[in-house]
Amino acid sequence: MAGSSSDQTFDVASLVEDFDLNRIGQYVLVILFIGFFLAPLETGIMTAFKTNRAVAETIPLMPPLAEGFTLDNMTFALNALSGAFFNSLFMAIPATIGSVLFGSMAAYGLTMVDWRGQMGMLVLFLIGIFLPYQAVLVPLARFWNNIFPLASMIKPLFVAAPILQDYHANLVPLMITHIAYGIPICTILFRSYYQGLPSSYVEAAKIDGASITKIYRRIILPISKPMFGVVFIYQFTQIYNEFLFAFTLITGSDTPEAVVTLILPAVGASTSGIDFGIRMSAAFLAALPTLIIYVAFAEQFAEGLKSGG
Amino acid sequence: MGRIEISNLTKRFGDTTAVEDLSLDIPDSEFLVLVGPSGCGKSTTLRCIAGLETATEGSIYIGGEHMNYRVPQNRDIAMVFQDYALYPHMTVRENVRFGLEEEPGYTSEERDARVEEIAELLSISDLLDRRPGELSGGQQQRVALGRAIVRDPEVFLMDEPLSNLDAKLRAEMRTELQQLQHRFDVTTVYVTHNQTEAMTMSDRIAVMNDGTLQQVGEPLELYHAPANRFVAGFIGEPAMNFVEGTNENGTFVGTYIEYPFDEPIRENVGGVEDVVLGVRPEDINLRRFPEDGSDTLADHEFEMTVSVVEPHGDQNVIHLRHPNDAAGDELLHAVTSGTTVVDAGTDVVVSIDPGAVHVFETATGDALHNRRLETELEVRNV
Repeated sequence: MAGSSSDQTFDVASLVEDFDLNRIGQYVLVILFIGFFLAPLETGIMTAFKTNRAVAETIPLMPPLAEGFTLDNMTFALNALSGAFFNSLFMAIPATIGSVLFGSMAAYGLTMVDWRGQMGMLVLFLIGIFLPYQAVLVPLARFWNNIFPLASMIKPLFVAAPILQDYHANLVPLMITHIAYGIPICTILFRSYYQGLPSSYVEAAKIDGASITKIYRRIILPISKPMFGVVFIYQFTQIYNEFLFAFTLITGSDTPEAVVTLILPAVGASTSGIDFGIRMSAAFLAALPTLIIYVAFAEQFAEGLKSGG
Repeated sequence: MGRIEISNLTKRFGDTTAVEDLSLDIPDSEFLVLVGPSGCGKSTTLRCIAGLETATEGSIYIGGEHMNYRVPQNRDIAMVFQDYALYPHMTVRENVRFGLEEEPGYTSEERDARVEEIAELLSISDLLDRRPGELSGGQQQRVALGRAIVRDPEVFLMDEPLSNLDAKLRAEMRTELQQLQHRFDVTTVYVTHNQTEAMTMSDRIAVMNDGTLQQVGEPLELYHAPANRFVAGFIGEPAMNFVEGTNENGTFVGTYIEYPFDEPIRENVGGVEDVVLGVRPEDINLRRFPEDGSDTLADHEFEMTVSVVEPHGDQNVIHLRHPNDAAGDELLHAVTSGTTVVDAGTDVVVSIDPGAVHVFETATGDALHNRRLETELEVRNV
């Protein structure tokens, strides 16, 4: 009754109603979690731009102030990683394109073309996903080093090529390994997308006399563009960040063909202790390519998630 | 040229039989509608003709040539799909042209010219550079037709092509499809579950149920002389009335009504005991039952109560129940002219002319007796 007797009276009660304890609790929790997740990132970026003294004397979360600010860490990290960046991208980009393309082709063959034994083949792909990497490391190393030493076979080609050095040949086995291990998961991702496409696309093209390869090239491939975005981001991140295969096939961080994930643990570590500024700079730089890929493919990623699930 | 012969076609998927022993002869340039409820095997039959499914048994001939082992492309057919199957990433021009790309005997310029020509014909010329996503349902439908026509096939196969359109557009496209078919003079097999489309568009209708062919014939033949209870119930809207009962010495005895058969019906029904009485809603006549109950009922008249009235404007559908039926289940429905107004709850006298009655055998569903038509002319010239 109170408050509603006149038009002028301001109904305070109705405002308070919206601020019940549940909602306040929710927001506090959300803000806490945001802080919890973002604090390490913030700390990392701030530390990357601090001098060693500032790192020791200020709170990690604080931004670097006047004298404490430096770009030296970044330059040092960039120098330490520049070769590794090239190696990583030289290996990861073809490996990603290869596994995504082959995965899409395999998915097309498994869902939109009719042939006997499809189910058995699909099961093999599924097994491929669940094969633990650790179980294949030793055979894999033996295969590429002793049974089929591809790297030493193609070294002369790399010497002749511009920009490349002979040691880059060592990245090729790693590239092929990543393609092989990426195909199953890519296939399954594309398969779910292709199953959602109307079968009349393929049937109409068949009636028009298009061959299986033409249907893939002219219809399925262009239609699956959004899904390519999703799988490409996923696969690139996987391959770029992968450590175990790289560690097995490329022996160590001191080799010139080492990829970013191999170099990263060594940057900023020395006998005199750990240089946090350099480490954080290196970590930030190492993460940049995946961030750039996400931003570049964001639109297709969203569209692909929407349509492909 | 485009004559289709299907002989003893059977299609099984694992243990389920989709189509069983279907034989059908479709003369050149006929418009045949394959109609039936969902899952009756009509689409499977169409896909077998198209070559998208292989027949388990039986043969398919188009233009006298055996088709079973031919790929779809070499069957000289074109198909329109229910969802149109237009490629979203191509323009209308590219979509229509796609069907022509694998066709031998065209130069690139001739292909482009042919696309323009077809677009002109379907009045979609101004849409040629748009994508299917930017078109309305009716326009997409036209493009899908264009893609079928562009190859100049001997046979059109259409799988429920109008079911995604709204009612008004559907009626328009029905006429247009018919005109197009006449113009190209192409044998057409048209699959639908919509009996109105079947009645209005076809030269002949083939009704299917549970994978078997029930009856093939001209629309009015199916309407007035259905071969069995299924066809009688499927063709016609609102559906035919069926009353189950027994034949006792030439009189139909149901739970609530008794209907004495006249001589021609008796002859056809013979000694069959369990029968179903069928009568079309428009053949049921109603008159008001006098309040004082003074009316006497003749042989083919019954007293009934109106339970529900559905006004359609041009006609009213009157649902009737028997006064003695406590549960109030509908016994019959009748169609009256739109200007005849009856209120629910009114008692009426229902009269059914023996000339309009169908009788079916309960066990098999086969028609024992169909309604009488004075002459062939009554159907053709009324």
